[in-house]
Amino acid sequence: MSEHGVRIQLDRVTKQYPRQPEPAVDNVSLDIPAGELVVFVGPSGCGKTTTMKMINRLIEPTSGEITIGGENVLALEPNELRTRIGYVIQQIGLFPHMTVRDNIAVVPRLLGWDKARITRRVDELLELVGLDPSAFRDRLPKQLSGGQQQRVGVARALAADPPVMLMDEPFGATDPITRDKLQNEFLRLQKELRKTIIFVTHDFDEAVKLGDRIAVLAEQSHVAQYDTPGRILAAPANDYVEGFVGSAAAIKQLGLMHVGMLTGLAELSATSGLPTVRSRENARDALDIMLRAGTSHVVVLDEQGDPRGVIGFEDIAGLLREEVSRVGQDA
Amino acid sequence: MSVKTLDTAYQVTPSRWSRRNLTVPIGLIAAVAVLWLWVSSLNLDSIEARVLNAEAVRRAVVDHILLAVSATLLVVAIAVPLGIMLTRRWAKPLVPVVMALANIGQAVPALGLLVLLALWFGIGFKIALIALVVTAVLPVLRNTVVGIQQVDQSLVEAARGMGMRASRILRLVELPLAVPVMLAGLRTTIVIAVGVATVATFVNAGGLGDIIVAGIKLQRTPVLITGGVLTAVIALGLDWLGGLAERLLRPKGV
Ligand SMILES: Nc1ncnc2c1ncn2[C@@H]1O[C@H](COP(=O)(O)OP(=O)(O)O)[C@@H](O)[C@H]1O
Ligand SMILES: [Mg+2]
Repeated sequence: MSEHGVRIQLDRVTKQYPRQPEPAVDNVSLDIPAGELVVFVGPSGCGKTTTMKMINRLIEPTSGEITIGGENVLALEPNELRTRIGYVIQQIGLFPHMTVRDNIAVVPRLLGWDKARITRRVDELLELVGLDPSAFRDRLPKQLSGGQQQRVGVARALAADPPVMLMDEPFGATDPITRDKLQNEFLRLQKELRKTIIFVTHDFDEAVKLGDRIAVLAEQSHVAQYDTPGRILAAPANDYVEGFVGSAAAIKQLGLMHVGMLTGLAELSATSGLPTVRSRENARDALDIMLRAGTSHVVVLDEQGDPRGVIGFEDIAGLLREEVSRVGQDA
Repeated sequence: MSVKTLDTAYQVTPSRWSRRNLTVPIGLIAAVAVLWLWVSSLNLDSIEARVLNAEAVRRAVVDHILLAVSATLLVVAIAVPLGIMLTRRWAKPLVPVVMALANIGQAVPALGLLVLLALWFGIGFKIALIALVVTAVLPVLRNTVVGIQQVDQSLVEAARGMGMRASRILRLVELPLAVPVMLAGLRTTIVIAVGVATVATFVNAGGLGDIIVAGIKLQRTPVLITGGVLTAVIALGLDWLGGLAERLLRPKGV
């Protein structure tokens, strides 16, 4: 029903702004597999936005080649190219004088869809991002909370079912609780849609949480490391990446491991009084629950809420050791 | 939170019509009525009676409105496209030049301009119109430029990022969002045009200037007051219409 992502390749891409001593993006090559969510993470001013905007040609590269699904973007008509790339920015950019419906309908109208099809699509997208169509369709942006606006922003970017999405710090301006919620919903959505997404952030924890892969960028968009979150946490390529990972790398790694991954759960005995954790939650949550309850063990519940077993500190430490050695072998 | 509470929390629908909107026109009608009663109660001498006869006053009022409204329409026809053009990227270097010219147009005394134009091109309605347009063009021009420039650039970027062409962005995003500022400029232009139209009398183009000037020259206070009050009533009345347009045309949600 919806179109899955396609591969994006950047080949020795450089952007030199006029009257600047150095290129903002210098000779960057990246291969972004179809259907993956790749996060560009790096300090402010390192060239993340410039790199991203060259993909939909809001900024023209000075040199190098960019292909989407094998097609050279520089050979395409820019506006036509952009209707096939979803674009979400931090400021959201909903048009304040248009209803939610009209905002979402921008690209479908550009593509000449008929009214009935647009209506169906708008409602479908609102459902998809968790907003009741009958309640929200005719609202103006100012009648929405920040989180709701950002959802509409995502719906608008998805309107014509583009295979590729570019998202520039989309959740950067929201409060931590809303951001967490938006991130979770977004992950659920992406699991279903499998678009190729480039997601820019300066927040490494966000990168770890969302990314299938992370490109840690240094000055001029130089790729310091391009790998899965697990491998970046377990084996940072250099001091720069290590600095970015920050402290508590092991704890962050636990955030990537599901409790359900634990094999050989201890027998259920004397579980009364122990706290519980759901199997789809991560090892970091399990650890947190134990620390807060002041116990050394926690009961794992399956999806139905039935106890499956008990895990303790040693199991979690063992899991982490295994993961580190596994990543070490791969690398 | 239920949808209902959300609705009340975010509902911001400014009422577009209220009884207050009618205060101005009622006041203006009352002012004209008082003026009429006062003038009728006076024992007008033959000179006053000649200037203030109903037909002459009606003509002056109609001419005046015609002059001011034509000038305003011409200003819109010139300044809106010109202002839009000046906001295009390629026209950046032209902005200071055109703005300086428009500023000069507003600063130059209308009467002096009128005399110069009369010396070169003769007299009449068209000459008065040109002088009016030159004097009153700045507010619409400036507010068109500013109105478009003040549109949040992230909206323009979002529009470009979705594949909208410049012309479509202008029509669907920039202009609708610039409308309130542009209309504010229009109101200023109208008021200037009505005021300056009083000097049209010096190039024989009629209007309430005929009555005001006659009042001054003949030293007849009732004549002077009639001309002055009617000019003010027209200015305030057209400004009220402009305000009405501002309320009705302001895009929802802004
Ligand atoms: N239009 C521009 N003209 C000149 N320099 C620019 C322009 N846009 C960005 N830059 C510069 O390029 C560098 C990278 O900017 P940007 O891509 O926005 O970084 P990031 O998104 O990582 O914060 C910065 O040093 C910035 O000042
Ligand atoms: Mg940026």
